[in-house]
Amino acid sequence: MFLQQIVNGITIGSTYALVAIGFNMIFGVLELTNFANSSLYMFGAYTTFLLYSATGITFFLSFAISIILTGLLGYCLDRFALRTLRKKHAPKLAGLITTLGMSMVIDNSIMVIFGTDSKAFENHLDFGKFYIGNAIVTWTQVIILVVACVLMSFLSVLVYRTKIGKAMGAIAQNADAAKLMGINTNKVISFTFIISGVLACIAGNMIAMNYRSIETNMGSLIGTKIFASAILGGVGSVPGAIVGGVLLGVIETMVSAYISSGYRDAISFTILIVVLLIMPNGIFGKKAINKV
Amino acid sequence: MPLLKLEDVVIDYGSIHALKGINMELEPGEVVTMIGSNGAGKSTTMKAIMGMVKCKSGHIWYDGKEITNQDTQHKVQSGIILSPEGRQVFPRYSVKDNLILGAYVRPREEIAESLEQVYALLPKLKQRSNQLAGSLSGGEQQMLAIGRAMMAKPRMLLLDEPSLGLAPLIINEIFDMIDQISASGVTILLVEQNARVALKHSDRAYVIETGSIVLSDQADRLLNSDEVRKAYFGGL
Repeated sequence: MFLQQIVNGITIGSTYALVAIGFNMIFGVLELTNFANSSLYMFGAYTTFLLYSATGITFFLSFAISIILTGLLGYCLDRFALRTLRKKHAPKLAGLITTLGMSMVIDNSIMVIFGTDSKAFENHLDFGKFYIGNAIVTWTQVIILVVACVLMSFLSVLVYRTKIGKAMGAIAQNADAAKLMGINTNKVISFTFIISGVLACIAGNMIAMNYRSIETNMGSLIGTKIFASAILGGVGSVPGAIVGGVLLGVIETMVSAYISSGYRDAISFTILIVVLLIMPNGIFGKKAINKV
Repeated sequence: MPLLKLEDVVIDYGSIHALKGINMELEPGEVVTMIGSNGAGKSTTMKAIMGMVKCKSGHIWYDGKEITNQDTQHKVQSGIILSPEGRQVFPRYSVKDNLILGAYVRPREEIAESLEQVYALLPKLKQRSNQLAGSLSGGEQQMLAIGRAMMAKPRMLLLDEPSLGLAPLIINEIFDMIDQISASGVTILLVEQNARVALKHSDRAYVIETGSIVLSDQADRLLNSDEVRKAYFGGL
């Protein structure tokens, strides 16, 4: 039973981690809380569903197109809404409200088009199951975990080891100075939004397959969880997002197994409050060094 | 042919006229200082050259080509580099990472060589190579900011208040470094509050007041002019 919950928790947690990485990358670069991130997660799953059920192309082709479209939507979000605000030197709060607005537009558009009832989502990663001790592990879970791990390693390298990753960090620390280095800040920011869209899409589809259904509140539900993961791990940090996401997944599964499944979604809020009270910087959060 | 030329450059911040038609010419290899009080428009001139503020009218020419209102990024690529006021290093990156970012627009294979050159110019930075930039002292941060600008291999280097807030001894070190950079053939435009020291290390200077150039001459002549002395050297 305990082992089973650990397996389930890590699987779910790894998808939280994926979305939280995108969230943290954007926060890292712009100090912007992107509420629309969770809408991209839902958009990704619904787009795959639509393409697959309406056009007759194969599932994985639909998935691939959906990844591209979600990345593109992430790009548009920045290009047409947020970049204009940056140009006018609008306060950061304006950007935050904008992402909230965009999130509502996307969520409600999906609701209008697909209706509010949940849809069955075929699991194309269903290759049976096996046992570890008495815990059931499905191959879907294994695949989710492997994909998440590969993406997490890739992103850690991208953010901390590559030139564009260093440029992201430079923009985060001092955007004007970054421009003086010859960094095309808009391009780097767009790239960050595309990556976060792609991650949200992959996570959304994998979760949809795991649960075999999609519903119109899946975005808002994951929204609070990403937020809690990011705060728990440390806002703006990639390892923080990974640890925060997985930890939240495990805690959540444990609580629903041993206390009551009714508390499953409430736990992220509890964690949020406790972390903010006890260690507001999170596990990997750094205190800012500002020397004048 | 001048390397950099400003022609009637006008800049407004809303209803405030920051620059009211600036004319300036820098010959290759020169060190030119802009002196003037706070708010005279020195930093704004620098920002206009870098394309960080939009020129309302006027032209800026670099190396014979018009670069008015071009992106900052393109200017950096063509060799105009600004070391901004207030150091503005990346505090959470190491000294080495800061320097490498300075060479962002340059081919990767040239970076190691430039890094050695900058370390030779600034041996203190080499000792602190792996230290976070935010933990350096003010003088070291300023050296890092200039070193970072040198990593871009500038032809035209703009230095905005390199001596701001530093002790006299450190200021001398900074200006020795500026002399060395100049000796390597880089054209330098310097903005300084510390007019006396700056003039001693310059070929020519422009005196700027409320957005207009009121005087321009050889540095040594300005250094001995009563007018300038009274206005900018304080009570000495």
